[in-house]
Formats: sequence, C-alpha cells, structure tokens
Amino acid sequence: MRYLALLGGDESGVPEPGTPERDAIHRGYIRFAQLAADAILSGEALLPGATARTIRHGDGESGGVDAAGEPLVTAGPYAETTEVLGGYYVLEADDLDSAIALAREIPMASHGWVALRPLVMWQGPADRTAAPGTRHLAVLYGKESAGDVPDTPEWDAGAAEHGRFAEAAADALLAGGALHPIDTTTTVRVVDGEVLVTDGPYSETAEVVGGFYLLTAPTADEAVAVAARIPTNPGGAVEVRPVLDLGPDVAPPPRA
Amino acid sequence: MIPAARGDGSRAGGATPPARPPAATAGASTSGRRRDDARAVVDRTFRAESGRALATLIRLLGDLDAAEDAVQEAFVEALRTWPQRGVPDRPGAWIVTTARNRALDRLRREARRPTREAEAGRLTGATEPGGLAPAGPGAGLDGPSGEISPVDDDQLRLMFTCCHPALAPAAQVALTLRLVCGLRTDEIARAFLQPEPTVYQRLTRAKAKIRATNIPFRVPPGPLLAQRLPAVLACVYLVFSEGYAASGSDDLIRHELCDEGLRLARLLGGLLPDEPEVHGLLALVLLQDSRRRARLGPDGDLVLLEHQDRTRWDRHRIVEGQTELARTLRVGPAGPYRLQAAIAAVHADAPTWEATDWSRIAALYAALARRAPSPVVELNRAVAVAFAEGPAAGLAVVDAVADDPRLAHTHLLPATRADLLRRLGRTDEATAAYRRALGLVRTAAERAFLERRLAELEPP
Repeated sequence: MRYLALLGGDESGVPEPGTPERDAIHRGYIRFAQLAADAILSGEALLPGATARTIRHGDGESGGVDAAGEPLVTAGPYAETTEVLGGYYVLEADDLDSAIALAREIPMASHGWVALRPLVMWQGPADRTAAPGTRHLAVLYGKESAGDVPDTPEWDAGAAEHGRFAEAAADALLAGGALHPIDTTTTVRVVDGEVLVTDGPYSETAEVVGGFYLLTAPTADEAVAVAARIPTNPGGAVEVRPVLDLGPDVAPPPRA
Repeated sequence: MIPAARGDGSRAGGATPPARPPAATAGASTSGRRRDDARAVVDRTFRAESGRALATLIRLLGDLDAAEDAVQEAFVEALRTWPQRGVPDRPGAWIVTTARNRALDRLRREARRPTREAEAGRLTGATEPGGLAPAGPGAGLDGPSGEISPVDDDQLRLMFTCCHPALAPAAQVALTLRLVCGLRTDEIARAFLQPEPTVYQRLTRAKAKIRATNIPFRVPPGPLLAQRLPAVLACVYLVFSEGYAASGSDDLIRHELCDEGLRLARLLGGLLPDEPEVHGLLALVLLQDSRRRARLGPDGDLVLLEHQDRTRWDRHRIVEGQTELARTLRVGPAGPYRLQAAIAAVHADAPTWEATDWSRIAALYAALARRAPSPVVELNRAVAVAFAEGPAAGLAVVDAVADDPRLAHTHLLPATRADLLRRLGRTDEATAAYRRALGLVRTAAERAFLERRLAELEPP
C-alpha cells in the first residue's frame, strides 16, 4: 500500500533558518529519513506559502479565466489560511497502522499535522539528475466529483486525460500521484507525547487535494506553464510551489 | 444513488435476517410444522451466529462486502434447505462453510479477471490474504472434512477494526452494531433515533475507508493494544448506556441495546481475560443491568435508584458483576471502568438508599475524577457528599463546577442543584432550578419526574 502523507501546520511558528530550533527540526527530519528509509518513496519540503502561484480554471460558466480564455494565475497559495502545506512524503506501508506508526515520527506531527491518504496511483519517479532545473510541487485542488471515486467510468476518463498530459509533459514530470477521496483521510498528531489519530482532514473545506505532480523546470514561470496544462475538475485549481532542497540527508532520491 | 437500490449487500443484502416464519397453526401438517421449526432455527441461528460467521468470513476473504454477501447467501441457502433436510448438527459451522464455498464459487466464475485469481487462491490457502491485513493462517479449519467453524477471536479482531481511531466514533458504534452484533441498518437507525439514510451512509463510508486505507483486521499487538482498547471499551459501554439511559427518546430503556452491550462486554471478557479494565467494564454493565427492571415504574416512568424496589434487582447479575470485579481487585491501580463498577457494587450491597456507604461512594467518585476528570463525575460526587456530609457540603461541590461549559446544555446541573436546594429548604431557589432543568431535559420520563418534584414545591 502507498500512502501520501501531507505535512501541514502554522507557518508563522516555524523558526528562522540558522537558529538552534530550526536545526533541531532539521535533525528530526534527518532522523525520520533514516528511520523510514525503506518506506519513503518520495518526499519534499516546500518553500513558504508566499512563494506559491495558483492557477485557477474556469468552471465553464463564470470566472476563473481571463479575456483570452486562459486560466488565471495568481500569486500566493490556493487557500489563504495560517495552516499551510509544508511538505509531503509518499510512504510504502503494509496497512494503516504501519502508516500511522511512520507518520507519528515525522516532526511535523508534533508541531502541526500529518494527513495520511491512500494513493490510487503512484507514478514515478524519474531520475531527477536527468532533468536539470528546480523542482516544484503542483497540487491539484477542487470540489470532489464523480471522477474522484476510483473504479468508476468517470475516474477512468479522468485518468486517461492525465495520461495524455503526462505523455505530453514527460520531460518535466518527476512523479505524480492520484488520491482516494478525501473521506479516506486520517490525521495524525502528537500532542504531549501522545499520538492522536482522527478521522478526516485537519480542516474541513469544500475544495480538497485530489492529486499532485512533482515537476522540474528551468524557471518558475516554466513550471507554472507546465502546471497550467494539468487537467482539473471544472473550477479546480493547481497550486505550484518550489521545493526547498534540504539535501540528500533529509530527502533521499525518490524511488519507484 | 438511492441506497435501497444497491444490490451489493450493504443494505438489502448483508445481514438482513430472513422473514419471520408464519405462526404455526394447530392444524398444520407435520411437514409444515417441521418447515416452520426449521425457519425458526434459521432465525435464531441468524441472531446467534451471523456476527461470528461474518467475522470469520472477513478473515478468510479479506474483504468486508464480499464477506457480508457470502454470509447472506448462506442464510438464504439455509432457509431453502434446512426445512427439507433438517437442521445441521453445527449450524454455525454450516453457515461459515457454505458462505466460504459460495464466495469461492463466485471468485472462480470471475477468475478470468486476473485480479480475482489472487483472491481465489487466498480462499484455498494458496496465498496470503491482503485487503484487510492478515490475521494468522488457517485458524478455524477443521481438518479433512473441510468444515470451517466460526472463531471467536475473529470477532475480537473485527471489534478492533470497527473501533479503529481512523473511523469517527459514531461510525465505530454503527459498524460494531452492524458487523459484530448483526443489527440491520434500520434497527441501528431506530436505536439511535437517526434517519436510516444517515446511518446507511455512515456505514458505507466507514466500510469504504476500511478497504481503501487497509485498516488491519487484527487484535493490536504489544503496546498498541493499550492505546486501542479504550475505544473498544467506550464503544461497548456506549451501546449499553444508550440502551440503559436512552437519550432524547421517549422510551426510557432500549432493551435491545442493553442486551447487545452486555453481550459485547461478555465477549470481550472471554477474549481478553488479562485486561483488568475489560472485567471492570463487564462488572459495570452487569451491575447496572441488574437494576434495569427496577428503573421503570408500573406506568413506564423513571424510578431513581433512591426509590427503586430493591427486591426487583437481578441477584444473578449482581453476583456475576461482583465476581468479575473481584477478579481485578489485586491488579494495579483501578481504571475508570473498575472505579465505576466499584461504585455500582456499593449500591448493590446496600440494603436501602439511606443505609448506603456514601463516604465510600464519595471517595470512589473522587478517585474517578482524578483518573478521568469530568464535571458530570463531580455532580455525582456532589450527590454522594450530600448524603455523607449533608446537602450543604454537596452544594459546595456542585457550585464549584457550575460554570463548566460542558454542563451548559444538560439538565444535570440544575436538576442536581434543585434537589440539594429543596433539601436545604431553599424553596424559591429550588423552584427556579427545577424550571431551568425542565428547559433542558430531553427524555419524557425525566421531564415527568422533574415536573412532579416542581409541583410538590409549588403551593396548589
């Protein structure tokens, strides 16, 4: 089984780089990378939400596109909340208990939250040395629809669309994953040394993460240009955020 | 999608019990009577065996929906063949074996689909189970005859799956009643006064989550057991207490929930004999249940412990409860269930309300408040203190938690205050407190009690 662990928390609480507090967190991630070396298929830390750019697609009726019919690109993260995405791991685990046992060891579980969701598909990842440039994470947001339920014709149609995109954008894509519906989310937090496991995402919103791509591009503009071609639900959006390279100690090269 | 239109066993299929047999008439033929007897046996077997059979089938198939379908098919088969061929010696094993065979037939038919081959292999023992994570190979196989008995450990595994923390508490309770107890969706909806589609959707979502996230089918190993057991105990106690003190219902007691709660507590007691809190829970449920009949007056009204006819208490339950509690006395510091059971045991020992050892009860509530702080526990302690040391001392305990927001929406605080003020002769304040309690009370029987008390205070 493959699970996506989305790491989130209050960005304003993150210590400045170079401080002992920040170093301690960094050591925590190095420790997790060693402890979970066999389970981590991919993992990246993200630059702060302010570095994000969000591509908003029209819903076919109103808004979301500019005069030329192109999607709107705005500065900043998709959701304007203090609880923002800080990174992710793709974890290989036998069952949910094993995934929870890993998630609790991720430092973010102790000062934010880790949301576990099973992956329907995990494509990846390509050798990053072959494609120079900066890595970016493209996260797909949108209202859940019939196409978000696996084993349905709607899902298959969506998967085919993504297949065509992946083929066309092959040079830029390092990895990608499609998620089970948001109902399958389990949130893991560690509070006062105690593991709290709860049903559902940390915050309930109508627009939810449906999938993601890890891509590489020479410039941020080019990363946005690639992400703008990612198929989404009507009215959906794609948030593009540059990856914070923490070195091989924290994020070992992704594996298939 | 219209829930009722689904044919996948989640509702229409699954554990829907067969239609009740028509009442046998005096002039029925011998064969007719045998047929009716067999139907009655199927009905009884369903109640007794469906949860056990389902749990074992889930282990064998590694899939909840497939197991529900297979058990349902086996009961349909029983209804067809038992009237002619007679009831098998071991009906439970017959159901499990037939269900397994039906599932195997279906997988073989579908074996052209490559993903199904692995599942068919698993049923014949060729591969390890996936889906729901494995729970030890081969348990329940009865040797060369090929008959498979239901395994009680499978029910324990199923309870831990149903009560997994990744499922919402309401879903945990609904799943346990549906899968372990074999209650139908409409029965669960009625028991919890919820619309049937709500319960149906909650069950469907929870089952989908179990499958998609691969929640394991096992008793958690090692230290994880201590982390996960409280949710199972809480679920069982919630089932019982929803029956014993039904909330928001005009029925004061929902006997079917009391019975299921007691059955689950007994099952846990048998399967986790080394866990003191499991015996504490069983003791608590037994001791409370001993008073079930005495809680209802002749008109179906609530009779408080104070006014209960103690000769109507079930002595067998009391002895059994006290025995369970005694088993845990020497094992470490008592947890919340053992403490509550100890309180119930003091009441069970008391010849009258007045002759109850109130100091002991107050001390046990104080211990409980330290273990599991809660304003409701403090209210109960206040009542005990009031009897041990007088109503003024009790009122001081109540007033210390009067501002707790967790008490803001229940009648418990004003009702307790009202009673203590009444006993202190502070009639005006008591009247006002009874009125506040009446504005918050949810059950008709408790409302009637409070109204009676209020009427006694107000001059005619």
